[in-house]
Amino acid sequence: MMPDIAQTGQAAGEWLPQAEVPAVMLDKVSKWYGNIVGMNDISLAISGGVTGLLGPNGAGKSTLFKILAGKLKPSQGTVRLFGIDPWKNTAPFARIGYVSENDALYDWMTALEFVTTLARLYGYTRDEARVKAERVLEFVDLKDVMHKEIGKFSKGMRQRVKIAHALVNDPELIILDEPLQGCDPLARTTIMNVIREFGAMGRTVIVSSHILEEIERITEQIVILNHGRLLALGNVHAIRDMLDAHPHSIALSTDRPRELGKAFLDHKEVFGVHFPEEGKLIIRTHNLGALHADLPQLITDSGFSVTAIDNPDDNLESILTYLTGGGD
Amino acid sequence: MAEKPRPLHDKVWSKLDRKATAILELTLRQYRTRLSTWAVLSVGVILVLITVLFYIEAMNSEIEAVDNDGDSVDSDGDGYPDGQENLLGTSMNNANSHPGLFDPPIPPDSAEDWINEDGYDFSSAKLGTSQGYDDDGDCRVKIGEVGWSSWVDENRNNISCDYFFEMRGFDLKVVADPNVDEDPDEDAYFKETLHRSFVLGFGKIGFVFVLGIFVPLFLATGLIRDEIADGTLHYLVTKPISRAEILLYRLLGYIALVWPYFIALAVLTGIITGFMGPSDGFFRFQDLLVWFGIALAACLLSLAYAALFMTMGTIHKYGMVAAIVFGVWEFAMAMLSVFEPEATVSRLSISHWGMVIVDGFSNMAWPDSQYLIALGESTSQYTDSPSGERIYFDEMPGTEAFSTFFHTTNLTGNPLQDVLIASGVLISMVIIILVIAQLVFKNKEID
Amino acid sequence: MEADENPNLPDAEFLGQTGAKVEGQTRLDAAYGSGDGDEQSIPSASVAGGTKQHEQAYLGTVFDQSYQSWGGSLNPRWARNWAILRHHVYGLFSKGHRPYGMATKLILFAAFLISLGDLGMSFISAVFSETEMHRVFGVSKDNLYGHVLGFWPRNAICFPIIAALLIGGIISEDRTHGTSAIYFSRPLNRIDYTAMKFLSVAIVLFMLIVGTLGIYYTGDILMQGEGWAFFLDTLPIFLGAALAGTILVFTYSSIGLALSSVSRGKFFPAVALLGIFLGMKLIAFLIYVLFERSVLYLLSPYDCVAHVGQALVGTTSTYDHPWTWSLMSLVVINAIALYILVSRVSSMEVTRE
Repeated sequence: MMPDIAQTGQAAGEWLPQAEVPAVMLDKVSKWYGNIVGMNDISLAISGGVTGLLGPNGAGKSTLFKILAGKLKPSQGTVRLFGIDPWKNTAPFARIGYVSENDALYDWMTALEFVTTLARLYGYTRDEARVKAERVLEFVDLKDVMHKEIGKFSKGMRQRVKIAHALVNDPELIILDEPLQGCDPLARTTIMNVIREFGAMGRTVIVSSHILEEIERITEQIVILNHGRLLALGNVHAIRDMLDAHPHSIALSTDRPRELGKAFLDHKEVFGVHFPEEGKLIIRTHNLGALHADLPQLITDSGFSVTAIDNPDDNLESILTYLTGGGD
Repeated sequence: MAEKPRPLHDKVWSKLDRKATAILELTLRQYRTRLSTWAVLSVGVILVLITVLFYIEAMNSEIEAVDNDGDSVDSDGDGYPDGQENLLGTSMNNANSHPGLFDPPIPPDSAEDWINEDGYDFSSAKLGTSQGYDDDGDCRVKIGEVGWSSWVDENRNNISCDYFFEMRGFDLKVVADPNVDEDPDEDAYFKETLHRSFVLGFGKIGFVFVLGIFVPLFLATGLIRDEIADGTLHYLVTKPISRAEILLYRLLGYIALVWPYFIALAVLTGIITGFMGPSDGFFRFQDLLVWFGIALAACLLSLAYAALFMTMGTIHKYGMVAAIVFGVWEFAMAMLSVFEPEATVSRLSISHWGMVIVDGFSNMAWPDSQYLIALGESTSQYTDSPSGERIYFDEMPGTEAFSTFFHTTNLTGNPLQDVLIASGVLISMVIIILVIAQLVFKNKEID
Repeated sequence: MEADENPNLPDAEFLGQTGAKVEGQTRLDAAYGSGDGDEQSIPSASVAGGTKQHEQAYLGTVFDQSYQSWGGSLNPRWARNWAILRHHVYGLFSKGHRPYGMATKLILFAAFLISLGDLGMSFISAVFSETEMHRVFGVSKDNLYGHVLGFWPRNAICFPIIAALLIGGIISEDRTHGTSAIYFSRPLNRIDYTAMKFLSVAIVLFMLIVGTLGIYYTGDILMQGEGWAFFLDTLPIFLGAALAGTILVFTYSSIGLALSSVSRGKFFPAVALLGIFLGMKLIAFLIYVLFERSVLYLLSPYDCVAHVGQALVGTTSTYDHPWTWSLMSLVVINAIALYILVSRVSSMEVTRE
């Protein structure tokens, strides 16, 4: 039982994937920082293929990833990676590659040294780690610059080094936090190809972004988060269709709800009004944008005073319009 | 690749080794890329060199010989110093009575022969043992002159012309017959005590105290903290490796840098002072034990401090303030341990136990030190002031410094036991700190 | 979402020119091309200002470059500097200024109380009219000197810690947080910036070291009911001690700021400061005890100040070399520290590091 200082031996045997256990499983997970809620009661299971995690800044994407990476402890709920709690046990990380949103790297190392050193933390020998590092660096198209110091790399190259380091253990689950952020179109395409390739290989890949278009180019399976809550989950086209079919409503507070409702019924986009309580009016429509555009004019023409306008279910709509880059 | 799968324990072990060496190498290379590492380590070397320069200079200068018993003077002006006249039985105060009138006439000794003519010669470092030899033979003469034979044995141990050591309260005293070892060689005594004071003082203050506290403060506090601040810690924690392991291996990386540094400095100073110092042979081999003790104390202390400061570094905000405040507390306690080793409050500090180790080894290497101090205190000294006045001192030069830095083992009385206890305390401190550290670190959320 | 599609958009004012229909996002697009690069949509831009160019903007246009000098009025230099100084000093007492940690504030307060320990003892002796005790703790040459420059515990524990905590991050934190960019993008001279940082630290240290000396001195005289003669007799000693304290404050501040300007974190300068003060003192002390050479004290900033202070107050010197050497050494130490500080700050790159 001599310690393997010379590091000539072989790495430990591979883990056989268990098909019945989902790669990622969250059950009623919440996370708050003091009074601020980062994640609110999220339940989710992801297994196989590429999944895009969408949401504006502060939606809780990074919080979710940090919980998955064992960096944060969930305030409530259970998190399982391959059936194991990542906060208590680091064993599942042998099968995971994690790319943080943080741009920090060991700038004084060469790309090869960086990937090799971190690969050795998976228990590979020096030589194995080096071979694997060279392979992944070639995979992300950095082979010709791998002997250069990371500090001299451009943003896109740094991003690719980070991805390479996450791929070095041949992971079954890859978590990428904003991998496309700040990259030029060329680097972006390279990274997207890498991600797609991994998805095609049957690995589970989770990518976060706040731009829907980017995600659409990689995958159709998306998860939308906003304000720490799960908004939608599934195929991006299906979600869009459901959104269009979904009637929207606008709530108005006024002293003469009935008269005002009558004025609105004449509008071509409005298909119904109702009065939930005294002084309140709810208008139903299929085309929120058009109605919003005409709303001020309608109110002014009717001559009634309106004290408040509210969109009770605007979240998903506005988030999606935000994500697709439209609207204002 | 091996055909046969290896046994499980082999795999676990070799995996551990691989992760350990990976983090260790990373830590060392990180140190190498930082300017502050080099600055701190070279400041340490410069301090050591400056101190050694002062040492070398002192060793090459001569201490003026003092006639402690005043018998090199020729009181009656007949050309014979008083000591010689006294020894041969002629009168010191009568110019017409001197050994030149003997048959055959005895030529006068030069005055220098009666300076430093009766040095220390003690054979055993034990209480109550008869010591000393009256080199110049004036102990018996004095008694013969007066004619009371009981004066030969003034200390009443039934042996004439000797001395022995006795404990009086907390002090060791010399109980001597008259004129025994009364005029020792100042230069030899000074150099011997200065050498020992230097090794001890420099070991305690320079190594254990200044380097032992500040090197970990500079180099260990950032082991985890800098990673958190730079945002690179997640590269380590999101790997199949437990957080306790990360702490341990980071600490190993620190050890791999700092221990060789301390050992090299101790060996370097040990060799220089070993050759430069006063000795019968060409090298002071018995010092090596003390230098070993100093290196051991510095290594253990720096490990304990490193574990502590690393832990404080993982605590978000107040860890740093706590580290600085704690560092100063340790500094104060180390000072107390050097100058007042009996004070028990310093046992609450880490530095105290390092001092105990150095003290223990010095007691083992130089068991006669406290007897040497007692002898130095027993001989009266004087110098002539410019106005012609005689100023008396109680001690030989070098005694005071030596008694400042040398302490007898005060824990159990047995130096070896002291060393073992102190090492045990330090090691268990390290273990306790590491247990706390991994608890803190395990529950730390990393942003 | 082009600006012109919506006729209801009010006329905006841009760079003092009215009439342009400008909207935030398009303005950004025009200025920086803030798109991500590979969008599928057709790029568009609109232009602020000139009407003809405005119409042609969809087809692509070349802009006339015309610059106007800034016509506003700037506060005088002292007012801008005062703002920086205030920002740092007020932070100790109230929110909304440079934040000091709770622990730092507590330690500063503790140091303040410890510094007034001698006044407390003097107070006790006055209450119980213990003249013996008052002789030990009342105003005297040694006590005035000791209040500012006594080694144990003031200059061994108190003052180095507060200096380290105060000065540690004063410049380096600006660099790590990127806030130095906020300063240096204002109409502000870098030397002024450094001077105000220096002054703010020095003021706090001065309050703690020399301020408590003043409190002790006046407090003791009032409590003992000493007359004018005593006051006049002791005033020169007090002034000497206060001057020595000022030198101490200056030296600590300049060394600390120099260390803070060369390093990144808050911690390194603080520890380096402690290392220089205490480490040099100890090594010099070791040399003095062993070899009876006091020249190495010239390398220890504390001992140089203490030696000069002894000469100023007129107590017996504890050093073998003449005090002018210490003064020279002080000048050299401060000159080196200030040189490092100034050259470092004036060549500092204001990126977030």
